[in-house]
Amino acid sequence: MASSEVAPQAGRSRGRGLRLPDATPSVLLVVVLVALWQLGSTQEWWSARVIPAPSDIWTVGRTEITDGPFFTDALATITAVFASIVLGLLLGTLAGVLFWRKQTLGKMFEPYLISFYTVPLVVFYPVFLVILGINLWPIIILGSIMAAIPMALNTWVGLSEVRPVYLNLGRSLCLSRWQTLRLIAMPAAAPMVLAGATMAGIYSLIGVVAMEFMIAQSGLGYRIRYRYESFANSAMYFYIIATLVISLVVVALLSLLPRLLGTSTKGRS
Amino acid sequence: MKAQTTRAADASLPAGSAADIVIDNVSMSFPTQDGTVVRAIDHVNEKVDAGRFVAIVGPSGCGKSTLLSLIAGLQTPTSGEVRIGGEVVRSPKRTTGVVFQEDSTLPWKTVLDNVCFGMRVAGVPKREQLERAQQFITLVGLQGFEKAHPPQLSGGMRQRVAIARTLALNPNALLMDEPFGALDQQTRLLIGAEVRRIWRETHKTVVFVTHDIQEAILLSQEVWVMSYRPGRILDRVVIDLPENRDTSSVGTPEFSEVFNHIWGLVRGEAMQAFADSEHAGLAGNHG
Ligand SMILES: Nc1ncnc2c1ncn2[C@@H]1O[C@H](COP(=O)(O)OP(=O)(O)OP(=O)(O)O)[C@@H](O)[C@H]1O
Ligand SMILES: [Mg+2]
Repeated sequence: MASSEVAPQAGRSRGRGLRLPDATPSVLLVVVLVALWQLGSTQEWWSARVIPAPSDIWTVGRTEITDGPFFTDALATITAVFASIVLGLLLGTLAGVLFWRKQTLGKMFEPYLISFYTVPLVVFYPVFLVILGINLWPIIILGSIMAAIPMALNTWVGLSEVRPVYLNLGRSLCLSRWQTLRLIAMPAAAPMVLAGATMAGIYSLIGVVAMEFMIAQSGLGYRIRYRYESFANSAMYFYIIATLVISLVVVALLSLLPRLLGTSTKGRS
Repeated sequence: MKAQTTRAADASLPAGSAADIVIDNVSMSFPTQDGTVVRAIDHVNEKVDAGRFVAIVGPSGCGKSTLLSLIAGLQTPTSGEVRIGGEVVRSPKRTTGVVFQEDSTLPWKTVLDNVCFGMRVAGVPKREQLERAQQFITLVGLQGFEKAHPPQLSGGMRQRVAIARTLALNPNALLMDEPFGALDQQTRLLIGAEVRRIWRETHKTVVFVTHDIQEAILLSQEVWVMSYRPGRILDRVVIDLPENRDTSSVGTPEFSEVFNHIWGLVRGEAMQAFADSEHAGLAGNHG
């Protein structure tokens, strides 16, 4: 059991992510800020119409949870984000491995991949909408593409930077391509790949919520806009905060990935 | 003798019989950025008899690693061919063990898992893996470090892990590329003696690259001196020292004679390599 604390990239990266003891100061910060916010609102340092008090947001939020569409929307967003991350990671890993194997193919795609970082992919949403209809799929597909790009780039770069002697070791031990990838190249590239996975999670979250916000019939992004358009300010804030919480959870879950992979590498040996 | 051979030849691993290595008119060139070609190996014709221990010495950059990787099947010669046990080497063989010049330990694996790695992919049963790994970890003096990860170890200890990993595979031909480069003098002598002992017990064919002339003489039966660019074998010097030699042989007249002979050959080449590295920005080496 003691050996499960192994970091796969020992000595090379400190991508250990959020651990509970380290999170304490951050939690404290949030508590202090919320307290200040509450104080400012009750003291009317600003208009409650612009920024309502946390207590008001919570009161409204409770009814959104019990009688409102909160769970339906949260579920829609979580489903879309989860599906995008899974699909995006798969797609990105596959593409990254392919580009590594076939460098010419990689060189062909590289400028487009990099420019996709800067193109607001969200503008393609209507295209998917026309093809797939108004449901979760256009959102999931775009979220996956946005997740796949950093994953593909990082996987490719990570694999290309694997020390040649590791690959020679694999060849001298007569490993198959699959064994080389699974047992040597991927673990060696793990720090880069995992950084890509974290970015993939963040990108897909941004993509999903932005698309919900623009054109969708459900999801937290949609609900934020809907409440905003009907001047339900406190409810709008409630949904914004809910979205923030979900993104924090996603990032925290992704930061567990190294340890998950680390232990699974161990399990296989 | 009996016990030694049974230990060497375990059922799940290829029988530990030695194989001869024939280097048949082998050349290897690399293209460079400025359009010219580096002749790393130039028409080398040599033979290592089965069970023989050959050391290769030569200045930095003369093509020692290249020659070894051609024998290992990691690179294909531009012309000529290498045969091991009569078979043309076209790709790496399971029965050839390689210890690389660079650190090849896998940092995400423990020492034990690193040593087991080669056996694991060769399909050795788990229990036997652990048994043999333990045996060779002890042999290279790393007992107590089984659970450590390579980044926690010194460069020399990491190289010992790599040596143990290769030895545990019980190869017929053992190719070692400056395996002791990162070791301190004492460890160098101790592990050198161990490698020589293993060789004397199992009679593998060993090709051992080093730029330490003294080490080459102490360990091998035959020293090949390589020239600097194009890489050729200038001379093969048969070492006539007693079988059970050790550091006490260093002072003997026989030792000094071969040493001076080899040094005489290497010196000129080393000076040329050094002059070349002056503007290439590479580090020179000292025997
Ligand atoms: N893949 C390659 N591409 C281009 N040139 C190469 C390549 N591999 C080796 N060389 C060149 O071939 C020559 C021999 O290299 P090699 O690594 O075999 O030397 P070496 O004798 O092992 O040196 P050292 O003692 O420093 O390890 C060098 O000049 C090197 O620059
Ligand atoms: Mg070398």
